[in-house]
Amino acid sequence: MGIVVTGVGMISALGVGVDCNLVSIRKGLSGISATPKILKTGNKLPVGELQMTNDELHKLLTIQPQEHLSRTALLGIWAVREALKNANVDYSKRIGLVSSTSVGGMDLTEHFFEKFIEDDKAGRLRDVRMHDCAASTDAIARHCGINGYRTTISTACSSAANAVITGAKLLKHNIVDYVVVGGSDALSAFTVNGFKSLMILDEKHCRPFDESRAGLNLGEGAGYLVLQREEDAPLYYCHLSGYANRNDAHHQTASSAEGNGAYLAMADALKMAGMSPENVDYINAHGTGTGNNDASESAAFIRLFGNNIPPFSSTKAFTGHTLAAAGGIEAVLSVMAIKTGCLYPNLNFNTPISAYGLTPVCKYTDCTRVDSVLTNSFGFGGNCSSLLFTR
Amino acid sequence: MKCYIDRVTTEHDVVTDIKLLIPDAGLRRRMSRVIKSAVTTAVECVGGIENIGSYDAIITATGWGCLTDSERFLRNIIVDKEQLLNPTPFIQSTFNTVGGQIALLNHNHCYNVTYVNRSHSFEDALLDAMMRIADGESENILVGAFDEQTPSQHRIMERMGIFRNINDGEGAVFAQIRAHRSAESIAQVTAIDFPAHSLSKQECLEKFATSENVVLMYNTYTLHGLYPTVSARCFAEATRLIQNGTKEVIVYNEYFGATPTVLRIQCVG
Repeated sequence: MGIVVTGVGMISALGVGVDCNLVSIRKGLSGISATPKILKTGNKLPVGELQMTNDELHKLLTIQPQEHLSRTALLGIWAVREALKNANVDYSKRIGLVSSTSVGGMDLTEHFFEKFIEDDKAGRLRDVRMHDCAASTDAIARHCGINGYRTTISTACSSAANAVITGAKLLKHNIVDYVVVGGSDALSAFTVNGFKSLMILDEKHCRPFDESRAGLNLGEGAGYLVLQREEDAPLYYCHLSGYANRNDAHHQTASSAEGNGAYLAMADALKMAGMSPENVDYINAHGTGTGNNDASESAAFIRLFGNNIPPFSSTKAFTGHTLAAAGGIEAVLSVMAIKTGCLYPNLNFNTPISAYGLTPVCKYTDCTRVDSVLTNSFGFGGNCSSLLFTR
Repeated sequence: MKCYIDRVTTEHDVVTDIKLLIPDAGLRRRMSRVIKSAVTTAVECVGGIENIGSYDAIITATGWGCLTDSERFLRNIIVDKEQLLNPTPFIQSTFNTVGGQIALLNHNHCYNVTYVNRSHSFEDALLDAMMRIADGESENILVGAFDEQTPSQHRIMERMGIFRNINDGEGAVFAQIRAHRSAESIAQVTAIDFPAHSLSKQECLEKFATSENVVLMYNTYTLHGLYPTVSARCFAEATRLIQNGTKEVIVYNEYFGATPTVLRIQCVG
């Protein structure tokens, strides 16, 4: 049974909505700012931050401020609403949601905890009610008219790609008629400090796949697709024709030098679609800009594609690394690459990594035919996922 | 959709020396209590590290994840004013830490996903396992659930008024799930459902029972205390009933304000 994409929705540091994001990328305008402006942190590091406060997001979504939703939920609601509208869903059918997040309501919990560690009777309980990951999924479902099966996945930076995989299975097993899949993550002091403590944040604008790369820039946002069974959808963007999740099983946070997990995930996604590597037109790489990820992913490309590596790029220098949302945002970009026939540039690239010699797509390329896109998402715990979209 | 259950292990069933279950002393030292509890339960369930390799999917479930590590890192951010933080609690606060650690112990490259969906987390993981089996993607799956209670979590939920009629709780449960019946199969899951509304006891039986010879476990989570994956404990109890001669058990759970979940577990005979 074929699974097709019938709707897309996205919000990121590049702006609100898929069109706005695509225009920014076409113009080569990055969403990375020199320091956080809305997030409260003493860390003056570059981030991909959506320049809207939570109050402004409540207003944009016409949700009462007293509902006091986490930023993760607010970003998610926007992107899911856009995707549902884009797919023109029939609300009398069973609409499912597989959402993902890595921080959940941590932005609110941080406020609570500051007071709570001084005095366990202090801190506003409304600041901690949205702490768990499912709270954002519930809020999204409630504010988007989602009536069917819903679940939440959290596998660090591959979360949204795994949500896409689970959603496809729910359709195959006729548990839902439509399924909204993807992820949402807000910037938080928790993640900024976490990645800083791991010493993998670049103090400058990140440079994925470049010899001089020195780490990632964190970002925030949400990206969701609407998936349907092909026979139920007269109009669609493209097929989700392959997917796989495999584990690198090398280290809790680092990727293997051989890119085992990445290689297995990409190879399995192609195998599922019955497609050979030479037929991949574009890869939207995980490409975080850390020394370790980009080397490991390059090694996996060479193992799978040999000397015929398809055009590839990382879009993280535009959006920042949006953690659990990255797989959703990049799935939207992959679908739109097929729809509009474009390849996205890998900003800030100058010199290939000497050990691999790979050069990504550096210029925005349009008016090209893109029939198949592989998109990668890798996370802590060795979690590696690949999705394959085809015309 | 259905699947066979070959073994169910809770943290209380772990009898093997932890040094055999997690041989790396450094790793044991770094692991927080819930990670240690969940990983040892998983390794005990599969019968030793060397058997982890025979699984072709590892699917974990947790409502709250590794709370102690999350709290510790949050506290350090505030107390140390964002300076010179130790990354270990941040790394271990990730929800898929347990699934990743199990894979790492035996370098298992298989499918490895974590569901974090409050009171449905365990059932969502089991549904994923059953879909993989129905799709022919897996033969042997390790499915597990874990949650820990911490002083802060207890205090916060107490302030929310949640423990007026029920105790706090925690636990780890892992199960060997098979596509095909084996000599070790103790039970089978023959139905998994996520009704949109509450069901009465009568409705549960009418909708899910296949015989008169059925035991209904209706909201028996209350016996184990309240935590997001307590329904996995009920699942473990249900398989025990089957092992002791019950033919069919319906497990119905509804808590934390979510819609209910229903499992039908039957003997394999």
